[in-house]
Amino acid sequence: MAIDGILPEGFVATSADKLINWARTGSLWPVSFGLSCCAMEMIHTGASRYDLDRMGVIFRPSPRQSDVLIVAGTLTNKMADVLRTVYEQMPEPKWVISMGSCANGGGMFADSYSVVRGCDKIIPVDIYVPGCPPSPQALIYGIMQLQEKIKRETIAKKGSAKKPKSLETEVGE
Amino acid sequence: MIFEAIIKELNSKFAHSALQFNEALGELTITVAEDHLLDVCKHLKDDANFMFKQLVDVCGVDYSTYGEADYVHDKSGSYESPFKKRFAAVYHLLSLQHNMRVRIRSFAHDDADPQLPSVVGIWAGANWFEREAYDLYGINFYAHPDLRRILTDYDFEEHPMRKEFPTHGRTEVSYDESQDKVVTKPTSYKFRKIVPRVIRR
Repeated sequence: MAIDGILPEGFVATSADKLINWARTGSLWPVSFGLSCCAMEMIHTGASRYDLDRMGVIFRPSPRQSDVLIVAGTLTNKMADVLRTVYEQMPEPKWVISMGSCANGGGMFADSYSVVRGCDKIIPVDIYVPGCPPSPQALIYGIMQLQEKIKRETIAKKGSAKKPKSLETEVGE
Repeated sequence: MIFEAIIKELNSKFAHSALQFNEALGELTITVAEDHLLDVCKHLKDDANFMFKQLVDVCGVDYSTYGEADYVHDKSGSYESPFKKRFAAVYHLLSLQHNMRVRIRSFAHDDADPQLPSVVGIWAGANWFEREAYDLYGINFYAHPDLRRILTDYDFEEHPMRKEFPTHGRTEVSYDESQDKVVTKPTSYKFRKIVPRVIRR
């Protein structure tokens, strides 16, 4: 796709935003944060039948290697602190998918004393996937929606968030 | 061994005032006075006629609103509770050798500070069950080796399965940006009572 008379054969002209966003959407690595039954659907989505690998989505065991956090299941008060820590450990740029009714707003446990009524009380959420639990197709649709969202971002905007204080003060981790 | 034989055997071994038998739905419940609980449990476990070697479950029970109909607009279903004490622990036993099950219930004397003896010395599996009953009901199992909370949040203070505890709780957690940490605050949640349209009797 050379430009006649300006660029030789084998070069492509694009904007930095488009190139970077293409790379980001093509390799979303979620940290596996399965909390309850939604985790089973998330596992199925990643397994051979629906196969998230073909979209470049590869589950990572560490938040340090991830750029997406899929909150899959009921978030309890006891787990809220852990979720925040995992989120803060992820490097920028990062996105969050809230999967299922419980993560979206407490779900059927919204009346309970021990459940957080929506994981967006703890971390900022980009995509909400409805369902109880959402089917693998629904989760894939959510990931595709996130890809569309990432395509609209510019590099100037994302990644400018300040470093959280709790990570600055932590010593000898 | 059928239930009549169990009742006869236990009555010959212990004082009649200590035991109370209740047979319903093909299951036998033995209500044991707190002072005799350990003796009865030891006997049921080790006696050749019983051999209840397996403790299936230990539950706490709060009988304070027992018999009260739950729905505000309909009190017709209420009846008077036969239980004078508030807290009880219920033990489900299984004898693999004789293929039978039995249920033991023991009421705590003091409603304000419920105390019961721990059966960890008899069945080691009671350890976490009793921690759970302590956590959710506040029943103190004395002589328990490690009576800590087991399920609720780290700095949780109440006993959530007690009847006076609101199901939606008194606190909720959220992320506070100014403090940069997850904080616990008094809940803003409005209680809603879900009443079914059809109440079956």
